[in-house]
Amino acid sequence: MILEGLAKTTLLGVEMGMTLVLVTVGLTLIFGMMDVINFAHGSLYMLGAYFGLTLVSVTGNWWLALLAAPLLVGLLGGLIEYFTIRPLYGRNPLYHILLTFGFAILLHGLVTEIWGGQVQNIETPALLSGSVDLVLFSYPLFRVFLLCVSIAVTAALWVAIRRSDFGIVMRASAHDSEMVDALGTDVSRVFTAVFVLGSVLAGLAGVLLGTSQAVDPGMAASVIIQAFAIVVIGGLGSYRGAVVGAFVVGMLNAFGPTFAPQFTDALLYLLMAAVLLVKPAGLFGNPEGA
Amino acid sequence: MPSERMSHEKRSIKCSRRKFLAGSGAAVGASLAGCLGGGSGSSESVKIGFVLPFSGTYSFLGESIVNGVKLRLDQQLGGEIDGRTVEYVRQDTGADPSTGASITQEFLQSENVDFLVGPVSSAVAGAMKPEIASAGSAIWLNANAGNYKLVSDNCTKYHFRTSFNTWQTSAPLASFINDNIADNVVLSYANYTFGQQSKNLFREEFEDVGGTIVDEIGAPLGTSDYSSFLQEIENSGADAVFSFFAGSDAVNYIKQFDSFGLGENMTQTGSGFLLSADTLPAQGTGALGMYSLLHYTPTKQTDRNQAFVDAYSTEYDATPNVYACQGYDSGLAAEIAVTEAGGTDTDTMVSGLAGAELDSPRGYLKFKESTHDPVMDMDIRQVVETDDGIQNEVVETLSKVEGPTWGCSL
Repeated sequence: MILEGLAKTTLLGVEMGMTLVLVTVGLTLIFGMMDVINFAHGSLYMLGAYFGLTLVSVTGNWWLALLAAPLLVGLLGGLIEYFTIRPLYGRNPLYHILLTFGFAILLHGLVTEIWGGQVQNIETPALLSGSVDLVLFSYPLFRVFLLCVSIAVTAALWVAIRRSDFGIVMRASAHDSEMVDALGTDVSRVFTAVFVLGSVLAGLAGVLLGTSQAVDPGMAASVIIQAFAIVVIGGLGSYRGAVVGAFVVGMLNAFGPTFAPQFTDALLYLLMAAVLLVKPAGLFGNPEGA
Repeated sequence: MPSERMSHEKRSIKCSRRKFLAGSGAAVGASLAGCLGGGSGSSESVKIGFVLPFSGTYSFLGESIVNGVKLRLDQQLGGEIDGRTVEYVRQDTGADPSTGASITQEFLQSENVDFLVGPVSSAVAGAMKPEIASAGSAIWLNANAGNYKLVSDNCTKYHFRTSFNTWQTSAPLASFINDNIADNVVLSYANYTFGQQSKNLFREEFEDVGGTIVDEIGAPLGTSDYSSFLQEIENSGADAVFSFFAGSDAVNYIKQFDSFGLGENMTQTGSGFLLSADTLPAQGTGALGMYSLLHYTPTKQTDRNQAFVDAYSTEYDATPNVYACQGYDSGLAAEIAVTEAGGTDTDTMVSGLAGAELDSPRGYLKFKESTHDPVMDMDIRQVVETDDGIQNEVVETLSKVEGPTWGCSL
């Protein structure tokens, strides 16, 4: 019974942590590359969920929505970067904060206007409904799928950043964008690509979590707060930091209600404060993070 | 929302036509401005101020309440009560108490409203109360804020609750659960004022009728993943759960309760906001079989409710929810107050409204003389699947539920 509970809570923590990686990683990649704090990240995540909602209700095909909705969000992210963020590079970072915060408000209003303020939900595809028997306990199948997708995406990104040519250019641009530019690579295109990638990841998280959770205009704000806390804990701009931070927060979410039921909502901020006291730059925070 | 936009336009057109017929001769723009509240409340008109959220999370609730009020006063009464033209002013509270207080002040002092309708949030209501009590110049039709402390702490005679109080949406379910479902219950709730009040009032009543509360589990407001809380609920070993969650929290909680298979060993029950007409479509089949308690159920099979549902769906192209019903009842209350008093003198209206019965779609509804809280029928519902989708079916109606007076004696 105790072993069973411990095992289940641990699995919950891993699953919640890996899901949070999916939500957070785009935010940290964009900051790590371009020093842009993207307040609209939560809104892009929300748009992923709403695009998914509409695609599922129109086509009836969840898998198509899983593929198409993130791409649509990526396209929108690309347009936002190209037309509004790009002209502001090199200026005070405050301009980016104001701009993306403006987008967050705008997108919130648009979503409420188009889809309405009531709570909705993407229907779980038949193939992923039900639960699986994991010897000690049974676990919802969709959550197992969510865990697998998150691990796959995290691993693929890790390999891409460390090993691929694009990853090398990315890391080099983050380190010294002028030098990369001088060596004949168009850095602004790299920036756009990274912003699109971050948006696609946010959209993907939106479709996946919009299926296991409620879809409503408040979802953007609730996710962005947790995502920022994770990024601060892990170190702004550090990919490894985001993964570790999300994992720690996942475990905190899983074990909190058991060990500190009255303080669950404070735990995250206590952890954040503690990390900032000991390591002000976050667990893995350094300027060359990516 | 297209339907809501449409209703605004309709009102404006109707309003301007009326002004033209009255031969005011004013320009269209000016007459519209008059309709929208630019003019002062003359003795020949009844002025209603909406103090509601029109932006943010609760905007949907605010619009539903306005729709309900206007269904009664504009569509059914032709925009007149007892020969007096009804005028509206509205301002957006968001979810901010101090905004609510300053809107209230403005409506009372410069707009000279006869009625205030709103708010949605109990925190906003707390900030409005001292303004209304000290001005004494308008009747407050509280169309959603359920906090029982509005009555228990310094109750004011200007406050008429056209909605419900926290006791009514939680405690009366206790004996039903004890008699029909289980004598041991675990509580789960959104950890903020309303959730805490609901679970405390339920606990008191459940222990009074002889049941045992095994454990209580609070989750932060706005939690999106309840899985670890659900594990605690499962570990409690109770045979039933009583919960307070609303909106997206209710959707997340119920969906995850179902996906972790907790329904196999325990019965989910709760305050009606847990399983309402607004959340059921998103909660889906996972909600089947669950019990809840609320004062309004759209599927209720009474002539009065059927007529309301038909009228509302024709006008707004949507099924009415509990907030629309509370709005409609606010409209009814304004109608009775003005008609009984033969005018808009506030103190005369207060005496007329105290103890008055309303023909509410919810069933029996009366303002209790001593508190001005509602005495009303409460429905115990179970979620079932019908040809029209997942819906609540009334399994038992508790008639004329009153609740404590908390020492208030008006």
